[in-house]
Amino acid sequence: MSSKNSQPVLDDVSVIVAGQGGDGSLTVITMLADLFRNSGLNVYTERDVLSRIRGGHAAATMRAFIGEKYCIGSKITLLLALDEEAIEKNAGHLDSDSIVVFDDSGGSVPENLLPDGTRVYAAPFNRIAMRTMRRELYKNSIAFGVVGRILGLEDENIRDTFVKRFQRMGQVILEYNLEALGLGFHLADEMGIHEGEGVYKIEPTDPEEHLLIMGNESVAFGFMAAGGRFFCGYPITPSSEVLETLQKWLPRCGGVARQTEDELAAINMAIGASLTGTRTMVATSGPGFSLMQEGLGHLGSAEIPLVAVDCQRSGPSTGMPTKPEQSDLNLMVFGGHGDFSRIVLAPGHPEDCFYLTVKATNMADKYQCPVFIAMDQALSQNIATVKPFKLDDVEITPGKRLDDKDLEGMEAYKRYQFTDDGVSPFAAPGTPGGMSLVTGNEHDEWGLVSTNPVNRVRMMDKRMNKIELAKDELPKARLYGDAKAEIGFIGVGMLYGIILEAVELLGKEGIKTKYLQPRTIWPVLDDVLEFVEECSRVYVVELNAQGQLAHILMHQGANPDKIINILRYDGIPFRPAGLTRRILEEESRFIKDIKREAKVQ
Amino acid sequence: MTTQPHTKTFTPSRPIWCAGCGDFAVKGVLEKALENAGVAPHNLMLLAGIGCSGTIQNNIKCYGYHALHGRVLPTAIGAKLANPDLTVVAAGGDGDGYAIGAGHLVHTFKGNPSITYVVMNNNTYGLTKGQASPTSPVGFHDNPEEGMDSIMLGLSLPTTTFLARGFSGNPEQLEKLMGAALEHTQAGKGFAFLEVLSPCVTYYDTHREWRARVYNVEEDEGYDPTNRAQAFARNMEIKNEGRIPIGRIFKGEHPSLESLVLNHKELPPAQQKIGSLIHREHYDKFISSYLG
Repeated sequence: MSSKNSQPVLDDVSVIVAGQGGDGSLTVITMLADLFRNSGLNVYTERDVLSRIRGGHAAATMRAFIGEKYCIGSKITLLLALDEEAIEKNAGHLDSDSIVVFDDSGGSVPENLLPDGTRVYAAPFNRIAMRTMRRELYKNSIAFGVVGRILGLEDENIRDTFVKRFQRMGQVILEYNLEALGLGFHLADEMGIHEGEGVYKIEPTDPEEHLLIMGNESVAFGFMAAGGRFFCGYPITPSSEVLETLQKWLPRCGGVARQTEDELAAINMAIGASLTGTRTMVATSGPGFSLMQEGLGHLGSAEIPLVAVDCQRSGPSTGMPTKPEQSDLNLMVFGGHGDFSRIVLAPGHPEDCFYLTVKATNMADKYQCPVFIAMDQALSQNIATVKPFKLDDVEITPGKRLDDKDLEGMEAYKRYQFTDDGVSPFAAPGTPGGMSLVTGNEHDEWGLVSTNPVNRVRMMDKRMNKIELAKDELPKARLYGDAKAEIGFIGVGMLYGIILEAVELLGKEGIKTKYLQPRTIWPVLDDVLEFVEECSRVYVVELNAQGQLAHILMHQGANPDKIINILRYDGIPFRPAGLTRRILEEESRFIKDIKREAKVQ
Repeated sequence: MTTQPHTKTFTPSRPIWCAGCGDFAVKGVLEKALENAGVAPHNLMLLAGIGCSGTIQNNIKCYGYHALHGRVLPTAIGAKLANPDLTVVAAGGDGDGYAIGAGHLVHTFKGNPSITYVVMNNNTYGLTKGQASPTSPVGFHDNPEEGMDSIMLGLSLPTTTFLARGFSGNPEQLEKLMGAALEHTQAGKGFAFLEVLSPCVTYYDTHREWRARVYNVEEDEGYDPTNRAQAFARNMEIKNEGRIPIGRIFKGEHPSLESLVLNHKELPPAQQKIGSLIHREHYDKFISSYLG
């Protein structure tokens, strides 16, 4: 592919590190991501792990590139295989241009599994680690030296990243890792890969400052920056980073981030905090979201503001806890007993996560209702580069609040007063003159329990209509691709980056498409329905078995004849090329159908 | 036109309880104790669970909240942590607290937040017409299980700081216990757990039986409520004699949850002004920690 003298400039590489759980694949990938980010490239990482700490095949992937992408590419540039299974599992993504760095401690490389032309650099990393440092864990750091050299990273930059990563674990661990890295550089020299003579060259760019952050951390920060000061959660994959991030940062701002005994306590403790006028959030995944249903409906009935984040994973039941899915959409949109209104927002990348969580926190306060944020495992946990969040763009708009002076001028204060917009002003406990009753029982304006049928209908309408008024300011969908194209895509969450790239690939195949990324799932906004209307057909791509998003759209009036559902629920994310192939298959069938129809006529 | 000196707020409703219900005494005693403690209605947050007892907040001037069944404790803790200046009183029955909400009771004992919890225990589910509850004895409606004792449960956890049992038929003592519970939480000493034997006159009238069986530990010579092991042993003895211990069962010391959880250099969550960027320096630090 290249000689020393004609190293290609690295503009889009994907690296997989694969081995057994506990081998530290994720650590290697995270450090590589940091190095490329510091070199001025953008990065996106993905994890493929089992719900256990040790054992089982585990892999992590990183893509570094110039430009904007939010997914792993279809082609693998380099595979660091820490055992034979790593090659078996990943050989399908390799081609003749790929490079394999293989740990041959357990046997020689299984050449028969590799495509012709794949270049292999093999060394017994594990054996060297055991022999020289007495711990196999250091095999990663040895291999890192070889991988770094191949990718064209500078030794010094790699050392700096090691210092940054391992220093907090203590001087001894840092020194061992640096020693291991040195052994790796030495191995690379022996293989003939000297510094600056790798397979790739990194063009020094003027590095734009970028955050390297995952969706869950962005959600946590969005909540905090919007004035959120109370959070409750119970550890559950893939939402725990929201809890962990807020446990680290909220107390510094006087806030509280509680790990509760279960999700029932989490949602109700959050309700208690929200009753005092504090901006409050919970985050969980499917099983926890199911447990919270009674509380979430109660928020609707008692008109209590709250943001609830659902980091969806493969279900039903315990499902596949570490695998991405988008199969709680029905639960978010239709879940809970009785009728109540809620808002469901859907970000597509970490930057979107930040700004939509700010919005969600404001909307919950303004409309005194639950606002859900639909995440998925990949969006939650995959680390990507994004532009630094602009704090000056964060608008914090408090809801209708009454203090003691406001109350003094009023004849009466009723917690559930009928108003034009359906939102009743709120006086927080502790405010003189604002005593009131809050209940999920049907109630009159005072909050006293009532089954009066006339009052019941008025109260239900008051609550349901709030969401109609909110529609105007709910986040609009974003349109990408050729606006004149007749073929459309709709997809949310992690699919954002994949569909964007599929649109590009289809363009190269001569098929013009456009993509609408809905950012509000409920209520369904007109922009989404109009998009379906103006397309001749729309591929609604989803990670679930029932086509939940397509059904929500059809339920709200989208023409079912125009919708083709592309579904996946095997726990594996789409790759742009794979999705493109699925669409090409669909399109060819479509073209055949048109031809057949023409013949019949 | 006359000017109104005060904004009109909700008029407390009349209790829904049956004539003779023990809960009337609890309400009366709670009102007196709040008045004695000088708690203004606007600083009182009274949260109640589901059941006959779970309507008490409608009958008292306060910021009242009707919790989901079994969830009054986590809700009350959320309110207290968000605004520790509030007087937070949780109320409910034995079904709400010891059956559907039992897990939260254990964790509230463990956490020790400065809230008062009044459980009106009538050994039955009154509102759903008399089914067996977690405290019902063997034989009540063919109940095969022994009833549970939450005071003994509380004694077994090392973080409990206030355990007391009163009897609605003995309002004088109940008033003292309620006053002591409020004093405990007002002083930020932690969780005040007060179980009140409060008979259901309609579905399980235990009034006479309980009057005969209650045993006031405070009249017991040498009873030391600060000695956990001794309190446990003595309560077992009393129970084995077929009596029900009442009075101030246990006094302990342990840091309150809010003292451990809140950042005391900052205003508590509910008292911060929404919309100001007062913590901008922490936000900037957050952002720079994710930069290269």
